[in-house]
Amino acid sequence: MGGVDVESGGKKRSMNSEINMIPFIDLLMVTVAFLLITAVWVNNSRINANAQVPGPPDPTQEVTPQTPEKVLNLHLGADEFTITWKQGATVVSEVKVPKPSDPGNPVRYPDLAKKLGEEWKQHGGHRDPSDKKVDQAILQVDNRTPYKEIVAVLDALYATKRELVLPSGAKDEVPVFNMTFSVR
Amino acid sequence: MSADRYDAFPDHDPHSHAIHQPGKRLMHHVPLRFVWNKVAGGGGHSVNASLNLTAYIDFLLVTVIFLLQTFSASGEVAVDKNVSLPKAENAEDVIDAPMVAVNGNQVLVDGQLAGSTRAIEEVGRMQKVDELFNILKAKRELWKQVQPDKDFPGVVILQIDEEVPAIVVKSVFQTAAYAGYPNVSFMVQKIGGGSKPAGGE
Repeated sequence: MGGVDVESGGKKRSMNSEINMIPFIDLLMVTVAFLLITAVWVNNSRINANAQVPGPPDPTQEVTPQTPEKVLNLHLGADEFTITWKQGATVVSEVKVPKPSDPGNPVRYPDLAKKLGEEWKQHGGHRDPSDKKVDQAILQVDNRTPYKEIVAVLDALYATKRELVLPSGAKDEVPVFNMTFSVR
Repeated sequence: MSADRYDAFPDHDPHSHAIHQPGKRLMHHVPLRFVWNKVAGGGGHSVNASLNLTAYIDFLLVTVIFLLQTFSASGEVAVDKNVSLPKAENAEDVIDAPMVAVNGNQVLVDGQLAGSTRAIEEVGRMQKVDELFNILKAKRELWKQVQPDKDFPGVVILQIDEEVPAIVVKSVFQTAAYAGYPNVSFMVQKIGGGSKPAGGE
């Protein structure tokens, strides 16, 4: 049992011999058992955000006025989402997307994701594949909004992706927005 | 009691040796020669049969290779048992960073108590959570002491229960930023991709 024929085809003397495969099978079984026990079956992932915490101004450097970038402001209302592009204090555009009556379970906003993609194509400032920066999105939510709704909005915000050329020359798909919360 | 009565059954003799000469034992008490021949393989076909193990070994090898490819030495990402994570589709792989768990009652940093969710809700406005701030700051300073020649990544991962209100989320988010962790990630359950072993992290 458990033998392997290694016949060499000699004429005079048979070269048949048996290799005992039992230790090999034992080793494989132990390896399989160890790997199965230590395997981690997870489906956890993460959604990136960025907190814009401005530091104190550097008194040694002269402040040169720069044209502010366009920033997307996304307001979660009770019945609708308001997508506003602002450049400094100037409102560039404003679009409203009605909230679905039944967002489902898990909560999803596909219409919002589609509209955000269209808006980025029209107003987005960082579209070049060599541009490492992404457009900033500021989320304005009511204090009582449940976290699952915030994540659903983030999911819609990160649905639109663009190509980014990495320093190694490889290409990657990255979300077009990076989110932060509005602080009042 | 005569010793002759044990001649037919030597195994039953209390005075006989317990250790016998090795040999065939199967059905040896049946006093029929053709039975002895049969069980010894002497008459007709042998009862011994060899199994072909090649397919079995192939299967084991494929299983071992698959499991080795998906093996992760970094271990499991611990999720607080009281936290029900929300689901999202457009998410990235989890990285190694401090974990802040926020459930309906407590704020925990890597299992250590760092604040009360109820207290933040009762205040009703965004605030800095002092305990959380101190723990995160201590972790950042420790990281810098251990790795002084590297740039601090400033990444923290928030495991927040899906029913926690936004005021708590914003307070924890801003506290993490003030403590030197501006890159905040929200842990979610990925939908659409299904379960997978955490390989290559």
